[in-house]
Amino acid sequence: MLPMSVLRATCSRLSCIGVTHRGQMNLSLFSNTAPSNWSKVVSEAEKIVGYPTSFMSLRCLLSDELSNVAMHVRKLVGTKHPLLNTARGFVYDSRNNLQMRGLVILLLSKAAGPSSQSAPDLQPQDMVSGIYPSQRNLAEIAELIHTAFLVHRGVVNLKEWSNDGQLKDMQFGNKMAVLSGDFLLANACTGLAQLNNTKVVELISSAIGDLVQGVYYESSPNLQDSNPGDIIDVDVWEEQTFLSHGALLAKSCQAAMELAKHKPESQRLAYTYGKHLSLGHQLHADLQPFVAGGGGAPAAFSLNSCPAVLHRQIVGQDKWQQQLEEAKAFKDQLDYSMLWAAIKSERGVSSAVDLCRYHGNKALEAIQAFPPSEARSALENITGAVTKF
Amino acid sequence: MAVPWRHCWRWSITNCTKTRLSNYAVFSTLSPRGPGPIAGGAQQEVLPSTHPVNFKYTFPRHKPRKLWPASQLRCCKKIHSDTKLKDPFSLAQKDLAHLYDDIKKELYVSGAELRSLCDYYFDGKGKAFRPMIVVLMARALNIHSNSKGTDLLPGQRSVAMISEMIHTASLVHDDVIDGSDQRRGKSTINDMWGERKAILAGDFILSAASMALARIGNTTVVSVLSQVIEDLVRGEFMQMGSKENENERFKHYLDKTFKKTASLIANSCRAVSILVNSDPEVHEIAFQYGKNVGIAFQLVDDVLDFTACAAHLGKPSAADLKLGLATGPVLFACQQFPELHSMIMRRFSSQGDVERAWQYVLESDGVEQTSYLARHYCDEAVRQVSRLRPSPERDALIRLTEMVLTRDK
Repeated sequence: MLPMSVLRATCSRLSCIGVTHRGQMNLSLFSNTAPSNWSKVVSEAEKIVGYPTSFMSLRCLLSDELSNVAMHVRKLVGTKHPLLNTARGFVYDSRNNLQMRGLVILLLSKAAGPSSQSAPDLQPQDMVSGIYPSQRNLAEIAELIHTAFLVHRGVVNLKEWSNDGQLKDMQFGNKMAVLSGDFLLANACTGLAQLNNTKVVELISSAIGDLVQGVYYESSPNLQDSNPGDIIDVDVWEEQTFLSHGALLAKSCQAAMELAKHKPESQRLAYTYGKHLSLGHQLHADLQPFVAGGGGAPAAFSLNSCPAVLHRQIVGQDKWQQQLEEAKAFKDQLDYSMLWAAIKSERGVSSAVDLCRYHGNKALEAIQAFPPSEARSALENITGAVTKF
Repeated sequence: MAVPWRHCWRWSITNCTKTRLSNYAVFSTLSPRGPGPIAGGAQQEVLPSTHPVNFKYTFPRHKPRKLWPASQLRCCKKIHSDTKLKDPFSLAQKDLAHLYDDIKKELYVSGAELRSLCDYYFDGKGKAFRPMIVVLMARALNIHSNSKGTDLLPGQRSVAMISEMIHTASLVHDDVIDGSDQRRGKSTINDMWGERKAILAGDFILSAASMALARIGNTTVVSVLSQVIEDLVRGEFMQMGSKENENERFKHYLDKTFKKTASLIANSCRAVSILVNSDPEVHEIAFQYGKNVGIAFQLVDDVLDFTACAAHLGKPSAADLKLGLATGPVLFACQQFPELHSMIMRRFSSQGDVERAWQYVLESDGVEQTSYLARHYCDEAVRQVSRLRPSPERDALIRLTEMVLTRDK
């Protein structure tokens, strides 16, 4: 499983343009929108940060432990354990892009420029393409943590599997998921320790805590299970999305500034950029089923996605319940195309687009304080790609 | 060249004095019942070599130089004759009074459900074995170093707390991996809330521990305790695999035992040492004490898996065998009963394997030899910590090794 992702990362590095234009292998964060635009932004940004990086420590991926897991994961083929899909995602899935966080961290590091302080570990000659080695390590660590939670998210509850054969598969899949996720996290911990900066350790550890809370309270990955009665408004949506999708990037961006001993104000701006970019990014993803090019009504979408949440807020809880009842007409199965049409007919979608642009603008505003540079332009382009529909 | 593991206990015996030998009933069962010629032949080879090249790991090189000029023998005697001494638990009591409250503060999180999961095992009913060693070691080291008074430093107090948090986080994940439904007399988190939430709770405890660790503000201490987290995971991976070769298998077992159990104690001891003293040799004493006590602790645990329930219930618990794990007693038994080899390799998965392996272990002297090995590690721990300046806490650490060996649950 993971060694294949190395392969893929290597491929994308060696021939990034060639690979990125090939349908399912593209680097797009958003499977349904203009992949060429996004991959252009990404591949140009990759050139700016210098030698291409997989952002996943090779030492970790090529370790005996993970090769061992990769071998065992083959046994899961044909089962329904989510780890299999996560593993597949490393190779095929373009939505859980492995490089996005690392790339943004490196671009911000470069945009902020060299440190104004001279410390033994901040020598100008150690910089590669304007980025300190410690900042590159941090980018790798952020990716390790993100991947660890992709894996831990896929642990299943065994009591939901009564069939004996399936139960065994699920037990085995869980074991692999727990171990490999823990392994990635442990490597992140030792990597953090090697940065020799306890502020950064504290910041990134708190981001792990945020991520856990976000994942803990996020709706069940199985859309059928999501409880339509959950009353969440858009503020709660933003709060939870920040925890599950934004905190890691925001705090990593801040930590990248701290590693170069940039002023607290730069740290705050980097944090703000990371936070608003992540929120815009998730809004963009949530909007995909509802915007042009989405290819008509989807088979299903999350009722806790932002357009649905906003729709519920706009039409009111009573009308929403009524729409749910109508969509449930057949055998208690939700007819998503009916709900989709209902949401599209109101202002939920346009409000979500507005919100996405709001976050995009906030992100752009934050990086205006950094001097103009190609790295800053790349960050602006990434923000632009996120807010473009 | 690697020295065959099976000789390690013979090596220890032959290096013991006669008077010591008589202390241990186990020796009567140890003599030439081993697999014979191979062991006998190689014994010649091992005997003269007081240089335990390969044992450097398990049997730390003897360092005669004492940092504190006190006779080890004398102070040991003094301890054993003094009945007024408090036991280690009560000596550490005042430092551990707020342990669980402090942990709960670290775990503060707004969501009520996640909070109750995280607090679940910090109910004050655990032994707090690791924090106890850490605070005793910290006080012993503070007295030894004599520079900053004798009170615990805030960082040392944090290390004690963090050691319990890391331990608990790893228990929560282990219970999911092993599919356990009982822990400390109550249902496990995975049994109550499901596997997915249990894993996240473990991750959360770990992140809180890592934040507390960072707040100590010492990068060396952060490195030392991050190593523990990596060791715990690597140990768990080692437990999945088994070695075909017997010598490798025993080394693998001890290696795994260090990583899964001893590393946390050893590195926590090293961390409290770093916080008060700048002498690497003192750090090494603290580390070696923790490492040897930790390995002994686990060896005794592995023995209890065979003996505890046999004594209480008259029927095997053999939890390790059921999980497919070959621990010390089985590995020693395999010397006498080579039939065990194939069972070990298939991880006791065929029908009747667990029961047969159980029988073989009881018929062999595997339990005694594992206990003997545990005593060896405890002796080494005592030898190490005796190099510190005498103090009630140091003596409590010495007595603690005896408690590790004699515990029955």
